[in-house]
Amino acid sequence: MPRSETRHYSEEELLMHLLQEETPEAGENIAGHVRECGECNAVLREYELVVARILRWGLCDLSAEVWDADRVRLLEQFRRDQSWLERRGLLRTLMHGFESTWSYALENPLPTLGYIVVAFAFASERTITFLKLDRVVPATSEVIEIIRQFF
Amino acid sequence: MTSPLSDEDLVEGTLGGDEDAFSQLYEKYRHPVYATAYRIIQSAEDARDATQEIFVKLYRSLRSWNPRKASFSTWTYRLASNHAIDCWRTRRRKHETLDSEDTGEKAEREYAFGDAIRSPYREIAGREQVDAVRRCVDLLPELQKKVFVLRYFQELKLDEIAEMENCSLGTVKTSLFRATHAVRRALRKARN
Repeated sequence: MPRSETRHYSEEELLMHLLQEETPEAGENIAGHVRECGECNAVLREYELVVARILRWGLCDLSAEVWDADRVRLLEQFRRDQSWLERRGLLRTLMHGFESTWSYALENPLPTLGYIVVAFAFASERTITFLKLDRVVPATSEVIEIIRQFF
Repeated sequence: MTSPLSDEDLVEGTLGGDEDAFSQLYEKYRHPVYATAYRIIQSAEDARDATQEIFVKLYRSLRSWNPRKASFSTWTYRLASNHAIDCWRTRRRKHETLDSEDTGEKAEREYAFGDAIRSPYREIAGREQVDAVRRCVDLLPELQKKVFVLRYFQELKLDEIAEMENCSLGTVKTSLFRATHAVRRALRKARN
């Protein structure tokens, strides 16, 4: 026996049917039942009226001038926020770079140590040449050369 | 003629600091956002302020929008309805302490809010019935109010609302039914 003949539908089911929020199968059953059942049909019609009245609730809309003024205000705020976000973005990029480097160093300690020594050796050699430290500490260049050959 | 940009493009532009993209998003969504806020808060002045705040919130939290989870419009309505509910709560608290004027006076003040506000409906439809709906919606619990406004006025499907509110479809259906049933009773009372 089809469901439509077995019982009346609840008000909730009828409202969902009206709003087409039920499954297609349930929709067919309810539509069939409502065609034959005066009681459910009356409830459905009443909800139809209620929904129609709800939808007549209008809006106190704003004029184009008000919207324009609000848009200007909003865009000013947007510009202010953007410059702040840009500054924050640069800082975030630096922090992100530092974090990535630190993670790499923790995962690969030996290569990192190698890079540091090479960088140090390179920087030292430049410093020695530039400041002419060889004259003050004669063995410095040899020490640097040993480190470089070692790595 | 160039075709209008999609929401995704506009969001991307806004995230990149493109003022024009943000302006287009505002143009596209200001009305539904204001309409949602207005029907929840029920004051044109407060709904206007809420709309501004919602758009500020929107571009500040734009990175949290996930297109795979919800469409931009659904995400925006969620933001709008949640913020409007917060404003409504604040407004209610304020009114409770200040012992607000009666609804008629409130409505009059609302219409006196600058020449900017127009309401052609008032002259056409029965004011009593609209006031009955308004008063009833104002008294609804928060979820019912949200579901009611989003389903009837933003025409979101109930499964979208359920996903948006992170609750079951059954809960949303029941909320909408209870809200509509309450309005039905209020309308009957107004008729009598």
